[in-house]
Amino acid sequence: MEGMPDSVPTDSHEPIIRFDHASFGFSSVIALKDISLSIDAGEFVGVIGPNGSGKTTLCRAVLGLMAPIEGHLHIFDCACDKLRCHHRAKIGYLPQKGVVDRNFPVTVLETVMMGRYGALGLFRRPGANDREIAMAALAHVSMEGHKDTALGHLSGGQQQRVFIARALAQQPKVLLLDEPTTGLDITTQHNVIELVQHLHEELKLTVLLITHDINMIRSRVDRLVLLKTRLYAAGPPADVLKPDILSAVYGKDLVITDKDLVIVEDYHHHH
Amino acid sequence: MLELLTYDFMQRSLLAAAMVGGLCSVVGVFVVLRGLAFVGAGTSHAAFAGVALGYLMGWPPLLMAILFGLATVWITGWVEERGRMKLDVSIGILYTATMALAILFIGLMKTYNAEVYGYLFGSVLSVSSDELRVIGGLAILVLGLILIFSKELYFIAFDQEMADASGIPARAIFFLLLTLVALTVVVSLKTVGAILVFAMILIPASTAYQLTHSLMTLTLYSVIIGTTTSVAGVMISAFWDVPSGPAIVLLATTVFFLSILLSPKTLKRAASAHAH
Repeated sequence: MEGMPDSVPTDSHEPIIRFDHASFGFSSVIALKDISLSIDAGEFVGVIGPNGSGKTTLCRAVLGLMAPIEGHLHIFDCACDKLRCHHRAKIGYLPQKGVVDRNFPVTVLETVMMGRYGALGLFRRPGANDREIAMAALAHVSMEGHKDTALGHLSGGQQQRVFIARALAQQPKVLLLDEPTTGLDITTQHNVIELVQHLHEELKLTVLLITHDINMIRSRVDRLVLLKTRLYAAGPPADVLKPDILSAVYGKDLVITDKDLVIVEDYHHHH
Repeated sequence: MLELLTYDFMQRSLLAAAMVGGLCSVVGVFVVLRGLAFVGAGTSHAAFAGVALGYLMGWPPLLMAILFGLATVWITGWVEERGRMKLDVSIGILYTATMALAILFIGLMKTYNAEVYGYLFGSVLSVSSDELRVIGGLAILVLGLILIFSKELYFIAFDQEMADASGIPARAIFFLLLTLVALTVVVSLKTVGAILVFAMILIPASTAYQLTHSLMTLTLYSVIIGTTTSVAGVMISAFWDVPSGPAIVLLATTVFFLSILLSPKTLKRAASAHAH
């Protein structure tokens, strides 16, 4: 299929993230209910769903910032039933745009170096080796020429690259991206997703990509996970993006055209 | 003017000013970047209430100031974490409540106590050797802790959740920062006073913020600005016989406005506005 380059076949079947009937939230407000899902090492998984469907909760759970209130969550064989989990440094995380103050007085290299802090632990200072890792991470996102530039002076797309480099500096096993294309122009969106796919292939990274942009990722991911408080569907994009499933989740008729585009419109019931 | 420097009291006050100025400006970097500006103000008034209670009951005033300061910052941190209430609202309430306590304690005193007012308005020129030792000890403690945990403190100032997600014990570091703010306020009470200490924390870091885009340079500039304005403020105070607290703070404020006018950030913005 076009747009599906010879991506890594991931038959390793080593689940590194495993939700087992896990629910998250508070007993009064359940954000995610009864999720059972395994993500294997080396997979490229897209997480989609309407606003408020629990995408960000899933993200916080994987980061170990939220423990399940029912069921279990295992990450790298570590049971995250308690909040403190030691796997965090192995997950490189790109937060949603707007969460971080992008005018913070910090240079590109200083930002990326922060990716080393978790692995270093308390009391240890970053050394030459950490600097090398940070520079290599910047090279991976083609930003090594901007190491001394102020973060606030970069364009939105360049800032996203720097934040991806910060995540890579953790030398993670998993890359977790929360809506990385929001607020970027269409070309930049495309470039960012292409970079993520490239990193997935080159560094054999397991990628969890949370997005609203189904069109941008459908031809690139191995699997799509469709959330609406519950796990609505999970599988290859072609199996998940079926008109009946989509209209049930999004509450509108979504039509897949022959150009492989999902169009959000009242296609049939236009009065 | 140089003759002044030969006096013991002058040497003590210059040393106290340099230490307090340096300490406040380092802590201020994290306060400004983490957006805790108002916490400093709340803490200083709480610490002053502690001092007043100390004088009223005959307990050690500095110890009471530390207890009141710590209680305030920890409650503030806890409220912020819970997200039950907007931070500015909860601090606003604590701030005025502790000030009310301070006024109450002062009102309950049988006699007029000039020393209490010294903590409110600051009197660096009357710092005793014992007080200087306490200031020095606490300053070394606070600066030492900042040095040890600097990378974690910078990270939570940048983004606490990202720090947490990267395996930094972000919550513990956040409460450490709050504790350091409280200790810094107490250390500074005697020299600049409860009302003005807040400016000592905010102004040097905010001034440095105008001048650089690097965290390391920001911290360095902040310390230089904080220390020099404090020392110069004391000199002005002694030479022209004006109160030391206002002399330091007004000098720092002047430097702050100059930095806004001369800031590369402002100049660049103005230049690009012209270009459009």
